[in-house]
Amino acid sequence: MSTPSKFALLLLAVSAAWAQAPARSSIKVNLPPDAPISLLEADWGESSASERGSALVLNLHTSLSLRNSGQRRIRGITWMVLSQEVTPGGRASVTKPSLDIGPNETFPVRLDLRLLRPLGPAAAGPLVEVSLDGILFEDLSFYGPNKLDSRRVMMALELEARRDRRYFQQVLAAQGIEGLKRECAASLARQAETPRLDVQLARGRSTAAESERRVQFAFLQFPGAPVELVSGVADVSGPEARAPRLEVLNRTNRAVKHLEIGWILRDARGREFSAGSIPAKASVAPGRKSDVLGDTSLRFAEPKGAALAIDAITGFVSQVEFADGSLWIPTRDALADPRLQRTLAPSAEEQRLTSIYRRKGPAALVDELKKFQ
Amino acid sequence: MKHPAIADLALYGSGDLGWLRRLVIGRHVRRCGTCLAEVDAFASAGRQMRDAALEFPEELHWSRLAAEMKANIRLALAAGEIAGPVEEPPASWLSGWRPAAALASFTLVIASAWLLLRPLPQATAIAQDLVLKTTASGIQLEENGRSLALLHRDAETVTLAVGAQGSLRARYLDEETGEVTIHHVYAE
Repeated sequence: MSTPSKFALLLLAVSAAWAQAPARSSIKVNLPPDAPISLLEADWGESSASERGSALVLNLHTSLSLRNSGQRRIRGITWMVLSQEVTPGGRASVTKPSLDIGPNETFPVRLDLRLLRPLGPAAAGPLVEVSLDGILFEDLSFYGPNKLDSRRVMMALELEARRDRRYFQQVLAAQGIEGLKRECAASLARQAETPRLDVQLARGRSTAAESERRVQFAFLQFPGAPVELVSGVADVSGPEARAPRLEVLNRTNRAVKHLEIGWILRDARGREFSAGSIPAKASVAPGRKSDVLGDTSLRFAEPKGAALAIDAITGFVSQVEFADGSLWIPTRDALADPRLQRTLAPSAEEQRLTSIYRRKGPAALVDELKKFQ
Repeated sequence: MKHPAIADLALYGSGDLGWLRRLVIGRHVRRCGTCLAEVDAFASAGRQMRDAALEFPEELHWSRLAAEMKANIRLALAAGEIAGPVEEPPASWLSGWRPAAALASFTLVIASAWLLLRPLPQATAIAQDLVLKTTASGIQLEENGRSLALLHRDAETVTLAVGAQGSLRARYLDEETGEVTIHHVYAE
């Protein structure tokens, strides 16, 4: 074999070995010593590293095998993902809601990440740290540092799950299996038709190329909602909405510490899209008004890439957390509003239950519903 | 004495070097007999190749080739006479004013489509350092050319939600396990 061929072969071998190497040293999994779960195994299967131009791309795929080493059933878990070298100002998280993990049972959590950073010497230590942020149990008690407000997020998901399981159980009791099938079919059809938007979000002001106009929010008020939306505006420029500002009224005799306001966008062609929410840490005293502000620029586009021309915005209260830690979420009756039915995706639990129906049939769904009775 | 690379001498011989390199190599070649001989050899080989390309191959019989060509032309004319008189084709659709009208209509349609479907002017140059965005395979936070993406592999249905105070959420169903996973990236 000639010298250049040997050299090329050596390079190939080194790069192949390097491409396989990064996973284990790139991620560090942190678990507090008193955590009610234990890490059994981390499988780095298909992780790889490659160069793209002057950047290094790391694809990290791992499945953590965990055991519930406590005495309570686990309903949800959140992992915080930090990469200080790659994105010092950013954080990420992976949440698994709608779990039902008993004591000593094992369960997997998949992590699929891609990191991109300029080529060059890496800082000492792992590129990514994955830390437990919280666990929600069956009795709604919580364990964890809660740095990402995971308690509230998982609590809301669990309340939605209970609400929707109860609804499907009521349908089964009142209309039998045929009624349950009809309900699942309708939900799956809605899920397939729910319009989706792509979005880009940036902090701070934008220098919009075209003239900006102020758009007043319209509101959907739910009877029985603890917070009423009084007024709201956002600066809109083509596909971009900036700095939404809302005034809210606390109708209850309890202090509110956090709320989320869902919003629906209408484009110039009259189509409506659910565009997420404005979550806000807002201290609103009983019976008082308060402002909710968002200092971000949001740019919306259809999945095919065409920018959305925002024409109107509608807001509705989608979640309220009180100072005592209790939560309010809308009822199924409130969400039956035709506009919300058209635009809003179903809850995570409804998606999970209808998926069981679709993949395994009505009998499997009935068994799943009975598990939670 | 250090000699130039053989490739440089070849390029010098064929006159394909840049002016600065030609100056340097030329200075050396004028003082070095060995390199001058190499350059002459390359230049001579180049000339021979060009001359050879202009000549017909020796085995080609021009008179026979001309006779074959004439025979083929006669055969084509005879076949045309057997097929009957040549009819004047109808006026082509592509003649006269029609192509111009069609081209104008097509241009109008393309221009209208572009005006209706073009991406609206981008509100670019966002004064920030951290961007959250959706991608085909997940949600991602970017900062100064670096990025961290959470990927939703093989997910058919992904539900996105944006938090106007600086977060982006993607919820998807794992088709294998039937479990729901929620990814969140934060700029807060």
